[in-house]
Amino acid sequence: MALLWTAILWAPALAEQAIAETSGAAFGEPAALQAAVSAGDLPPVSQRLPERPLVMPVDAACPADRLGGTLRMIGGSAKDTRTLSVFGYARLVGYDENYAFVPDIAERFEVEEGRIFTFHLRPGMKWSDGAPFTAEDFRYFWEDMAQNPQIARFGIPGELLVEGKPPRVTFPGPDVVRYEWAKPNPNFLATQAAALPFELYRPSHYLKQFHETYADPDELATLVEAEGQRNWAALHFKMDRGHRNDNPDLPTLQPWKLATEPPSERLMFTRNPYFHRVDAQGRQLPYIDTVTLTIANADLIPAKVANGEADLQAAYLSFPNYPFLKRAEARGGFEVRRWESGRGSHVTLYPNLNVKDPAWRRLVQDANFRRALSLAINRDDINKAIFYGLAVPGGNTVLPRSTLFDPELPTMWAGYDPDAANALLDELGLERESRNGLRLLPDGRQMRIVVETAGESREQSDVLQLIHDDWRRLGIDLLIRESQREVFRNRIKAGSTLMSVWTGLDNGVPTPATDPAELAPSTAEQLQWPSFGMQIETGGEGGEAIGGSEALAPLRELAALRKRWMRTDDDAERADIWGRMLRISADQVYTIGIVAGVDQIIAVADTLNNVPKRGVYNYEPGAYFGIYHPDGFWFDCGASALAGKHG
Amino acid sequence: MIRYLAGRLVTMAWTLLAISVLVFVIIQLPPGDYLTSYIAEIRAQGENVTVDKIAFLREQYGLDKPLWEQYLVWVTGLMQGDLGYSFEYNQPVADIVGERMPLTLLLNVATVIFVYLVAFPIGIYSATHQYSWGDHGLSFLGFLGLATPNFLLALILLYLANVWFGTSIGGLMDPRFIDAPWSLEKAASVLSHLWVPVLVIGTAGTAGMMRRLRANLLDELNRQYVVTARAKGLPEHRVLLKYPLRMALNPFIADLGSLLPQIVSGSVIISAVMSLPTTGPMLLSSLRSQDMFLAGSFLMFLALLTVVGMFVSDVLLAILDPRIRLGKTTIR
Repeated sequence: MALLWTAILWAPALAEQAIAETSGAAFGEPAALQAAVSAGDLPPVSQRLPERPLVMPVDAACPADRLGGTLRMIGGSAKDTRTLSVFGYARLVGYDENYAFVPDIAERFEVEEGRIFTFHLRPGMKWSDGAPFTAEDFRYFWEDMAQNPQIARFGIPGELLVEGKPPRVTFPGPDVVRYEWAKPNPNFLATQAAALPFELYRPSHYLKQFHETYADPDELATLVEAEGQRNWAALHFKMDRGHRNDNPDLPTLQPWKLATEPPSERLMFTRNPYFHRVDAQGRQLPYIDTVTLTIANADLIPAKVANGEADLQAAYLSFPNYPFLKRAEARGGFEVRRWESGRGSHVTLYPNLNVKDPAWRRLVQDANFRRALSLAINRDDINKAIFYGLAVPGGNTVLPRSTLFDPELPTMWAGYDPDAANALLDELGLERESRNGLRLLPDGRQMRIVVETAGESREQSDVLQLIHDDWRRLGIDLLIRESQREVFRNRIKAGSTLMSVWTGLDNGVPTPATDPAELAPSTAEQLQWPSFGMQIETGGEGGEAIGGSEALAPLRELAALRKRWMRTDDDAERADIWGRMLRISADQVYTIGIVAGVDQIIAVADTLNNVPKRGVYNYEPGAYFGIYHPDGFWFDCGASALAGKHG
Repeated sequence: MIRYLAGRLVTMAWTLLAISVLVFVIIQLPPGDYLTSYIAEIRAQGENVTVDKIAFLREQYGLDKPLWEQYLVWVTGLMQGDLGYSFEYNQPVADIVGERMPLTLLLNVATVIFVYLVAFPIGIYSATHQYSWGDHGLSFLGFLGLATPNFLLALILLYLANVWFGTSIGGLMDPRFIDAPWSLEKAASVLSHLWVPVLVIGTAGTAGMMRRLRANLLDELNRQYVVTARAKGLPEHRVLLKYPLRMALNPFIADLGSLLPQIVSGSVIISAVMSLPTTGPMLLSSLRSQDMFLAGSFLMFLALLTVVGMFVSDVLLAILDPRIRLGKTTIR
């Protein structure tokens, strides 16, 4: 059997082996926990760490007793507690800085034929409350949650299905779990490494008290009553929201765990004394003892950052804040850094191919119409006027940092050529009315495109103003309609919106192993073809079939290519598929990208170390700061004491 | 009198019931429900939300039931003192509102005291010194306060407080004191933050009250009984305080009705702008996210306070001003 394996085996890092050999050697006890250990409230670090902890290649220049401190961050709402489980980025399998999969909570993992996944857990690893973390926690999720008719009301979660079929889950040992599908599951590891992972395990020892199978019925009924829930499943659901991170009692594997009962204006996260990573010297991570998240009005956050009230802040800072924060650097004691954005484009127009209006629908489904709209936009002017000339004008495609980048694509149909654009529109037979120079739709209406925004970004509205002038020269009027995020999405799905503006590709740095879902119809949430996406998502139950019209042939090809991508696990073929999909997307201009490469502004306290000078700030993949491992950030010696006082 | 009171109580109950229907309907009016806003939000973070998951969540939150049923559940809960459950905070509404109540009360009571302390002397002064330079000057200041948009003033004062005194921006205390036990230091921090919102929220109220007191007092000052009192040789301050001022106070008691809910809800916009830990911003965000039980219960609570406040002020007026007779038709 072993011979059949096209197995890929991830060996632990060399440094880890070195430590493992010297294991038994003292691991560094974090100074903040020393007192609790001496008092006997907490076992010493060697008993808290797994037998073989994950050794991170980081080091702090401070002696152990001067590490620690409080990292201050600012959030916009109490729901931002979830950012800590994103930043913490302890995953079964995570991404490294080059977006390759590396074991993290799992000590190692094996993939066979792209369909059998075996994870080896770290023996002796513990939850933040000291209970052992074992295969039982995986079994609990798989048997008692994913297959429980009351918790999984609508069947096994879609993330675990391949072509509708669930995996076979086995537990070959107390620290080994295996997921086996009949067909390859190319997205499985990505769901584990995601910013918001699909977690395969749960703290079973904690959740069992809320589970019908395990809890005493009377006690459970009292609990359900006391918490005001409908039934035990709802109570279980409430207690088990690791992503939202709003239950201080829920054990975690993240570096910091919530210590404040929400809601509060200032949420505290204290170190997880059982965290499974150590630094190069064998000192337990994280270096920083406490993280605080102060909740403030989102509009005040840049001002608070300028005042030095945050040690590490990226959320709620936008590019227009750059000059303001730069001026405040010395006063606030921080440095403003510009991190690359991981999005394919910063501002992108989405013509809605599923718009209800038949005249417009025919037009936006025509590639030449979309190309004309794109060619008429003077992207250089927009870049200079709004982004201080620091952005990169061009269409919506992957970023140069991705291996799939094709240098031709950003400029395809994205140069400034109003004459060509006018010619394209003339060819489509769109006559100009002599009175005010507006073109007419075939049914005699004047061409006015209403672009809807979610009303959250000033930049978008500013960009639209400039596009308005460009399109006016084409004989098309542009009107801006600001709404609210929910309304915005609902109108698009209903086909009431002709065109919308949003950011470009969420993942601008894909690898061949990334699902090209964003380029093809795949979900009902896609702004350019919500009904086609819904059709694919629901397997034909809802939405609208793409149909056989000539104009949509490339779209059918995109859908077919994605299907082919799903079926293969050959990287060369996947890269080829990606290349073709990117080219079709750029050539068909399904989305009209305006500018890319608008950096994310990051404020980093002068005393904070190990934060990269320049990184990629992206949610998926990347988990914002996650792939740079904030547990390895540390404060200047002495500054940590100061920060503690200030914090 | 007792019949009058009983009648008033019945009317109050009907009013509240009507308000509860209105509140519920208005919260439901925008398209979608809490779940659509929740989904839009997680979706914006780059998450995929499958159709199954939406159905699951809708059921978990009880949003799959028809509207009237949701309304009935809510209202029967309210009558038993159960304010319902907040989707957004994942906690009972009472806990969330309760947590923010003390600071809200502090802020708004401080504001009311500020308004009275400033408005009374100035109002009396400008009435007794009508058309003097002092009257014109103070009235001018008052109009300025009335006319300046509050949020603008708030931002300017926040900036100045930060630059001059190093006060942290926004909030009611330095971040490090939040959730810390009360201490002298913490109280000092609260005081150093409190004056900005008190001043901002108070300006408009002060100006309004100044003008009203001045107008009322001017009416009274020319009455014959005042002339009589003067003729009897009463000292000026006694003339003023004993009779006309007391007469001029009626509108302030009538104001009690609107004062009560104000003390609890505070100035929503200012609190949101300055990110104060009061109930105002919470109300705003719950309305935005259609967290209907939180928003609904909160609005109902305010409605209750308004109704009770009106009731109390009517009764007080009747007691304080013997000229007012309740419930009796005039004898012809």
